[in-house]
Amino acid sequence: MTPKARLLSLLSAAAIAAPLATAMAQDTITGDTVGPADAANTLTFRMTTDGPRNNDPALAAKYGKLFNDFIANHKGWKIELQMMSGDIGQEQARMLEQAKSGNAPDCAAVDSFVLPLFKKAGVLKSFSPYFKKEEIDQLFPFVREGVTGKDGQIYAWWWSTDLRVLYRNKEIIKDGPQTWDETKKAALASVEQGMEGILFNGGRYEGTTFDWLANYWGEGGKLVDDAGKPIFGEGENRAKFVKAVAYYRDLVESGAAPKRVATIGNYDDFNAAAAAGTTALFVGGNWQLSQLKGALEPEEFAKWTFSPLPGATKDERSTGTGGWTVASFAKTDDKVAMCANLAREIYMGPANEIQEQLPTRADFYSKYPIFSNETNKAFGEALKVGQARPGAPVYPEISNQIQIMMGKVLTGTEATEAAVDEAYKASLAAFERL
Amino acid sequence: MSMLNASAGAAQAPRLARSGANEKPRVAPWLLPLILVLGLFYLYPVFDVFRLAFMRATLLANDGSYTLSTLIQTLTRPELGQILWVTFVFTGSSVVAQQLLGLAIALVVVRGESRGLFGTTIVRTTALIAWVVPGIAGGIIWKMLFNEAPFGGLNSILRLMGAPPVQWLSDPHIVMWSVVLSNVWRGTAFSMVVMYAALKAIDPVLYEAAAVDGATARQRLVYVTLPQLRSAILVNMILITIQTLNTFDAIISLTGGGPGRATEVLSLYTFNVVFRNYDLSVGAVLSILMLAISLGLALVYAVFLPKDEK
Repeated sequence: MTPKARLLSLLSAAAIAAPLATAMAQDTITGDTVGPADAANTLTFRMTTDGPRNNDPALAAKYGKLFNDFIANHKGWKIELQMMSGDIGQEQARMLEQAKSGNAPDCAAVDSFVLPLFKKAGVLKSFSPYFKKEEIDQLFPFVREGVTGKDGQIYAWWWSTDLRVLYRNKEIIKDGPQTWDETKKAALASVEQGMEGILFNGGRYEGTTFDWLANYWGEGGKLVDDAGKPIFGEGENRAKFVKAVAYYRDLVESGAAPKRVATIGNYDDFNAAAAAGTTALFVGGNWQLSQLKGALEPEEFAKWTFSPLPGATKDERSTGTGGWTVASFAKTDDKVAMCANLAREIYMGPANEIQEQLPTRADFYSKYPIFSNETNKAFGEALKVGQARPGAPVYPEISNQIQIMMGKVLTGTEATEAAVDEAYKASLAAFERL
Repeated sequence: MSMLNASAGAAQAPRLARSGANEKPRVAPWLLPLILVLGLFYLYPVFDVFRLAFMRATLLANDGSYTLSTLIQTLTRPELGQILWVTFVFTGSSVVAQQLLGLAIALVVVRGESRGLFGTTIVRTTALIAWVVPGIAGGIIWKMLFNEAPFGGLNSILRLMGAPPVQWLSDPHIVMWSVVLSNVWRGTAFSMVVMYAALKAIDPVLYEAAAVDGATARQRLVYVTLPQLRSAILVNMILITIQTLNTFDAIISLTGGGPGRATEVLSLYTFNVVFRNYDLSVGAVLSILMLAISLGLALVYAVFLPKDEK
């Protein structure tokens, strides 16, 4: 054998052996399957990156271990993993369509904000037989309400939550603003120091609606009534709604926020601005703290902190809370049970811990040391005024209309009240058709 | 050689005619798989869209009854006028710009090739790279360039040149042209390829005759090149019009249709209605509207096609 041929043989052998070695390292996860290929039972699980396909190799490995341990405890089963794309809205809409035609996976990650749609469509299987009352009682009230159907059964396990806070550079803005007026003053003060001012989502993006809604909810405003009908454009609610929109408009018109907020539709833009040192104040999600830690030099990161979102007054505070659930569309009881087991054994606690995603059970904040630190305690404290998106099927369209309205208001192309009324009228029309 | 072919053709003609006279026309069996595939994957979905347009179906409910109310409610929506105007401006500007730029680049490349200049292949390849980039990726690239943050791509260059920053995406009067620019960047290569092929097919004798007659470069373009390209230009315009009308991936990643509805074209509006509002029937009506606009424009272009080339 010539040296060249020997080299080729070695390279070929390495190429063949590498995937095998990886497969062995990951134990029973091969390709898109967890567990032995000849297992008698299969559970299909459609997931986000919260799983063994996480983009972070360290997290992927931790999830891999959780899935391997899980399947080792359930002999005779294997899990077929299906990945969702990043376009969550479209993915969830497609899954709902599949569920209605009986082609949905046995088990899936369902975004908490579209859970009401799935519940209304009657495509979810009850998880009540598989979770103890004590476990359900530990869920935060907004979470328990979110997963419970009209018949009192729970139809998903909501395992992680998040919230919005106001991040600031302590060196430029010493104290966390408590009210809208204080926020404007702090932002203008930062502009005088060469910053862009306060940044927030204002583009065509769900985050635009959700981040801003805290201002409206803090005033006590309601989006829909008990029947799920939009009511934000009537009576007292309309006045509160207009006031909260006017607050954002004033931030832009006064120069406290740059006009480009009307184009921001991504939390990563805030990280970029913080890293570039062009902003000292932004409305972001709790998960961004660890992202900032990774993106900034330690001495720069030390300058950043967060405080609860400001309100119209100090006492009118709220924050939007989201998160992910696991739910089942399976046709047989054993698969529904397996999906519930997966939610409990992988996601309810262990996944929160490895990803530092805030748990939905109050007792987990003391059970897991990682959630007992000062930062997570502060997030947990802010969750007390947390509010989830309304469990109404019309919510996605209300959100769409608020995004459109916000664009018109922030760019000054339409009067605030007229834009609010338009959004309300369109939301009502959508409600009539659902 | 041509004599031999001609005589062979003449000998075959009576034989074909006799065969045609004796046999009845029949559906060729080899076409059946094609008809089946077309019917299943093209005609059935189209039929389903028309069916849904006359229902009140959403992703949550469908009572199965038929009604005209969806059609009437959709076509009288207050925002539809603005959506159609935005679509018209976006499509019209993109088509005209892509056609003109594609023709200009093709003329430069052909002229460069005829003179044996270096770099013609580089120009062609560079233009084609933009075409190969997926719409979503193109949108993200332009979003980075148009970013209005102090560290944004184009504004940083403007600042270096001492020019004031431009509100590429947040100014409702500028944002449409930013979106058109990104679409033209991506779509010009297609027009260039079509124009390049058509230019290559023009008989050089025509240019030689024009040169003998003492025609100037402008006269050669107006009286030789453009008339010879007429069919190619019209076919290209039909294709890029339909392509642009259906574009939404680049817009969704660049502006999402905003601010407000400033860049929400009909295809993006339809996407939002189905995937954000879950309204299948309204989505179906809007899809039919898009189909009607595309067909209407294609027919208008077809009227101008030379009769012998239709």
